[in-house]
Formats: sequence, C-alpha cells, structure tokens
Amino acid sequence: MVILAFDNIAKSYGDTPALRGVSFDVHAGEIFGLLGPNGAGKSTLIRILMDIIRADSGEVRVFGETRRREHLDRLGYLPEERGLYTKLTVTDVMTYFGSLKGLSRAEARRRSREWLDRVELPHVAGWKIDRLSKGMSQKVQIAAVLLSDPELCVLDEPTTGLDPVNVRLVQDLLLERRRNGRTTILSTHQMNQVEALCDRVAMLNRGRLVVYGEVDEVRRHHSLPEVRVHARGPLPPVPAVASVIEDGEGSWRLMLADGSVPSDALATLVRAGAVIDRFEPMLAPMEDIFLRVVREGTEAC
Amino acid sequence: MLNRKGWRKTWTIATFEFLTAVRRPGYLITTFGMPLFLAAYSGIVAIPAYFASRAVREPAVYGVVDPGGVLRLQADVTSSESPMPEAVKRALDATGRGGAVDTEFMESNFVFRPFPSEADARTALAGRKLKGYYVVPADYIAKGVVDIYTPDTINIAGSEARGQFSNLVRQRLLSGRLDELTSARVVSPLKDTRRFSVTKSGGMADGGQAAGIVRIVVPLIFTVLFLMSVLMTSGYLMQGTATEKENKVVDVLLASANPDEILAGKLLGLGGAGLLQIAVWMMFLLVGGIGIVPLLLTSQVEMPWIALALAIPLFLIAFLFFGSLMLGTGSLGSNMREAQQLAMVWSLTAALPMMMMAVLLREPHGTVARVMTWLPFSAGPLIMFRASTDLDFLNWWEVAGSFAVLLLSTWIAIRIGARLFRIGLLSTSRPKLAEILRQARLSS
Repeated sequence: MVILAFDNIAKSYGDTPALRGVSFDVHAGEIFGLLGPNGAGKSTLIRILMDIIRADSGEVRVFGETRRREHLDRLGYLPEERGLYTKLTVTDVMTYFGSLKGLSRAEARRRSREWLDRVELPHVAGWKIDRLSKGMSQKVQIAAVLLSDPELCVLDEPTTGLDPVNVRLVQDLLLERRRNGRTTILSTHQMNQVEALCDRVAMLNRGRLVVYGEVDEVRRHHSLPEVRVHARGPLPPVPAVASVIEDGEGSWRLMLADGSVPSDALATLVRAGAVIDRFEPMLAPMEDIFLRVVREGTEAC
Repeated sequence: MLNRKGWRKTWTIATFEFLTAVRRPGYLITTFGMPLFLAAYSGIVAIPAYFASRAVREPAVYGVVDPGGVLRLQADVTSSESPMPEAVKRALDATGRGGAVDTEFMESNFVFRPFPSEADARTALAGRKLKGYYVVPADYIAKGVVDIYTPDTINIAGSEARGQFSNLVRQRLLSGRLDELTSARVVSPLKDTRRFSVTKSGGMADGGQAAGIVRIVVPLIFTVLFLMSVLMTSGYLMQGTATEKENKVVDVLLASANPDEILAGKLLGLGGAGLLQIAVWMMFLLVGGIGIVPLLLTSQVEMPWIALALAIPLFLIAFLFFGSLMLGTGSLGSNMREAQQLAMVWSLTAALPMMMMAVLLREPHGTVARVMTWLPFSAGPLIMFRASTDLDFLNWWEVAGSFAVLLLSTWIAIRIGARLFRIGLLSTSRPKLAEILRQARLSS
C-alpha cells in the first residue's frame, strides 16, 4: 500500500533548480532509503513533504490524500540541521514536541519518560539540554520525534556522531517500527545502513531521481556480471565464463561472458566436472552504486 | 485563518512560551527585582537625605554689624523669635492660617547676632563660630548697600540666609511706620498660598504641590511602565525566535505547526507574560503606594481610573503591533545580534514618547501630543499619558480614533510580521531585500 507519493515535484531557488520532476512512492511499513550526494535535493524534498516550503509544481500525496497541514500530526521529522532548547530540561522539551504533535501534555510527559528509558537515558530527564553530550542530545532528539509514534517518519542522518553501540540501538528502534507497521524514510550517506535496514531506496542526483526500487533489485541491476564460487579443486574453463580470479582458499571470482547469466555458468561448470560447494551472484555494494551514479551524473554535466 | 486544530497548536505554543518566559531568570529579576531595587535605591537615597534635612535644622548663626543702628538689634534674633506682634498672630489664627505660619517659622533656623564692630565679627567668622556676617553701613538708607562676609568655603544655604536677613531688615524698617498687619503683608506678601485647579468642565480640584506632583508622576510612571513592558516583552519574542534559529529548532517546529500558528502562539504566550509583569508592577506600586493614599485622598487628586482601564487593551494592541514587527524583522537575522540590530528601529520608534516627554509634560494636550495620539507608533502610550494627565482635555473621538488607527495598524503589522517571520524562519543567513520581496510574493 502506498503511504506517500511524490508526483512530478519541481522546485527552484531563484534560477537554480533543486528538484526536476521527481516522482516515486513509499510503501506503508517499510524503511525507505532516500539517498543522494550533498545538494542532490533530498532536504528540499523532505521540507516540501513536511510543508515547510512549497513546491513550484507537482503533488505530494500522503495517506491516500493530497498532503494537508492536518497530516502533520501523523508525520515525524528529524532534520539534519537540528537542535533543542538548550536552557530547558530534557522532559520539558520532549513534552513540548509531543504536545505539538497532538498528544495531551500528560500523555506527552508519560511517553517522554518511557522513551528516555528506551534510549537508555532515564537519568537525564531533569537535566538541562546544554548538559547533555552530543550523543545524548542526538538520542533525545530521536526519542522526541518517535514518542508521538508517527505513522510516517523522516529521519535525516539519525546516527551521525553516534558510537557503534548507539547506532545499533537506533537501528533496532527503526526495525521495531517496521515490525509495528510504521513507515520510516531514512536519509543517510551511510550505505552499510541502507543495505542493513532499507527495503527500498530512491537516489537523487542534481534534482533528478536516478535510482529507485528494492535494495536487492537495485544492487542486482547495478552489479557487474560476476559470481563468487567456492569449489574443491581447480575450475575448468567453460565458454560462459570470460575470466577467473582466484582469491585463495578455494574461492574464485568469475566474470561472466557477454550474454551469459549466472545459471548458465553454474550449469556448464558442473557439466565440466567442477565440484562446487557455494555459488552466489555478486551484488554491487550500495556504496559503489552511489559513487558510480554520482560520477556519471557529474560527467554527464 | 486558524481552525480548531490550529488554535490548539497555538495554545500549546502559547503555554510553552509563557512558561518558558516567566521562568527565565531575566524575567524574574526584572519583574520582581526591579521594584525591590527601586525601593532599596529610594531608601538609600532617602536615608542620607533625611539626616541631611535634620542637620540643616541646627541653627545657622550670622553676625550683624550695624554701626548706624538701622536695625536696632539688642540681642540674637531668630526667625521663631520674629518680632511679629501677638495681634498679628491672633489675626492670622482667626483666619485659620496660624498653623501655616508656625510651620513656616519652625522651618527657619537662622540666628542673627549683633556685633559691636566688624573686627569682632570677622574674628568670630575666622573661628567658624559664624556662617557669615552682614555689615549694614550708616548710610544704608541712602545707598542701600550691605556688605556680606562669608567663609572661603561653599555654603549652599547662603541665598536662604540672605532672604531671611532681607525679611529682618524689612521688618525693622517698617516697624512703627505701618500698622502691624500691613507690615506683615509687606514683609511677606505671599507668605501662604492656596492653589486650586479649574477643570475644563468648570469643576474645581486641589492644585497644591502634592496634586501637581501626582499629576506629573502618575502619567510618567504609567507611560514608562507601559513602554518598558511592551519593549521587554517584544524583546523576549525576538530573542526566543533568534535562539530557535541558532539552536536549529525551527525545522522541527515548522514540521509540527505552520508559521501563523507559531507567530500567534508566541504573541499570545509572551503577551501574557508581559501582562503578568505589568500586573506585578502595579501590585508593587499599590503596596508601596498605600502610604500615600491618605495624601491622595486629602489632596483630592483623582486617580486616573480611565487610564488604568485602558491599560490592558492598549498594552495588548501595542504589544501585538510592536511584537509582530519586531518578531518579523528580528527573524530575518541569522543570530541574536543580527536580530537585535534589525529590530532596533522599532525599539527607537517605540521610545519616541519618552524622548518627547519634556514637551509632553509641558503641554500634555498640545499639538505635539495630539498629533502623536494619532500615530500608531505612539498612540498607545499617548492615550495612557493624556488620560492619566487630564481626562477632560482628551476627547472621546480622539480615543476612539486612536484605537481605530492602532487596530488597523496592528492588523497590517501582523500581516507583514507573519510574512517576514515565514521568510526569516526559512533563511539560514540574512536574506537580501530582493529575496524578501520575492518570497513575500510567493507566500502570498
């Protein structure tokens, strides 16, 4: 089910186009990766979704309707450029943000305590914000966004600056949201997180949508015709394989010949007498895809 | 226009802003500390002044050398031992003014001591037994010249002493030449006065010194408190927004409420904080002023109740007017310093009535005051000022017209302020004028 749809969104700042007819959908209950280099238009697109700025043209549909201000209570947003009221206590700030999302003050206060427990910071409830470390502050901000349990939540670089333990904590929170049927849009430059968490992705470059689809499909689509093979003994030469690189300890990387598919290569290798323990098509890492797409976009200009 | 949900968000923001403002140390210090500070300061000034006034009551002895016997002094003469005949005193008592005479004489503390020669008087002055001495030459009647000798130090009571000595000379010269009452009137033609003020409607009110002071001080206090509160509250408004921009909270806010809701919430919340501040100050004034209530009652000074009643609506309108403009302009700055620079023009405009206070006090209902009553930047304080000065000279249509001008200007200010606020919130640096105009067109 489509929970969010961008339809031909365009936006310019003066003479500089930030978005040029971007269209894609986000499905309910998924973790969706919004990717792209700096200046690609991600933040502009998010701010249009949150009604902070207006698109020059195009339509945003959320929850099956044209996006209205009334939808904001069901949306959560952790911006990349973020902060808190430094002179107030953690609980006061979280309660305020929860109240702004439509919770009663008492409920927002109760959930603040609950979420501070969940991000392992129950002891800072009465602290002033300026007493928190950077990592603590970041976790408080994430908790402040998630405490209203938004149906659709946009998190812009939520784990930047967190240590590996806290990165795992945040990832677990996102996975839990997915289990609960909540949708999360994750905007990040950390491609390992995209591979670990995201179901689908959209990649923007220079205001255009350049990659869109399921993560595995995208990786497959952008991968070289390459397979990794674990075999006992040497591999016999077969027409479906153009070249073989031995990685050692019975592991080989095979570059397939033009027009060959992995199943052809596997069949011909077995027919030629190879004893194969493991055979897997090699998927391009998201990071490589990211770099390639950005480079191609730069060269095209 | 805000719908029900919008008002709920506005209320949430207003509550947050109010509670945040009233818990700020700066607010608490100003609200409660300033009256206490002023009271303490007044005490510090008043106590030495009291002792100084007591010290002045010690008699100041002046020598009189009168070789020609013009004054015919036989011994020390003090003001209280003024040679006013008993008949004169009885006559004055009969008119009910005897008390005033007593008071006047009790306040005098000069002693005039005859010396046989100028040399003796000089010796006494050199030994600082005298504050000074007068030499009345034998040809004084013909020439009118008196020599005055004083120490080579500052003596601020010198002119008062000369006045008292003049009285003594007049009394002595007239003694036996006029009847006693006439003589007393010549010596002191305006010894005691009663003042009355005639209002525009022909009524009479006490016009004495106390009433005069109250009539000047009350509007002054009102105007100062009013302006202080408007400017301080508007300042909090601007400070809060600049802090939100600096702390990067703005996007989170805008993802939850629209700029109109945020603006309305801030204006309501901080307006409430400003009203609370005024209420606290008024309470302090009332508590502190209990002592002068009998004075106000006996001097028949009318409290400016109309001005008091107008204070709340005027504060709200003026706060909305200046607050919107300050918030809108201030939000264009990327930090607190820039915001203050941008909004300074409104602070200066708001302070215009204070700058013109000398002119206004001289002519509270003159041309300047009347013109300023119609200008949106000064209408609020001017209505307050004129209503508390003399309501009879403030026409109802001036009040109604000023309110209309203020309301219309405030509506325009809120519209402009909201638009600037939206542009300012979304700008990370100070936008250029062309960009502001472009964004204003887009957001319309």
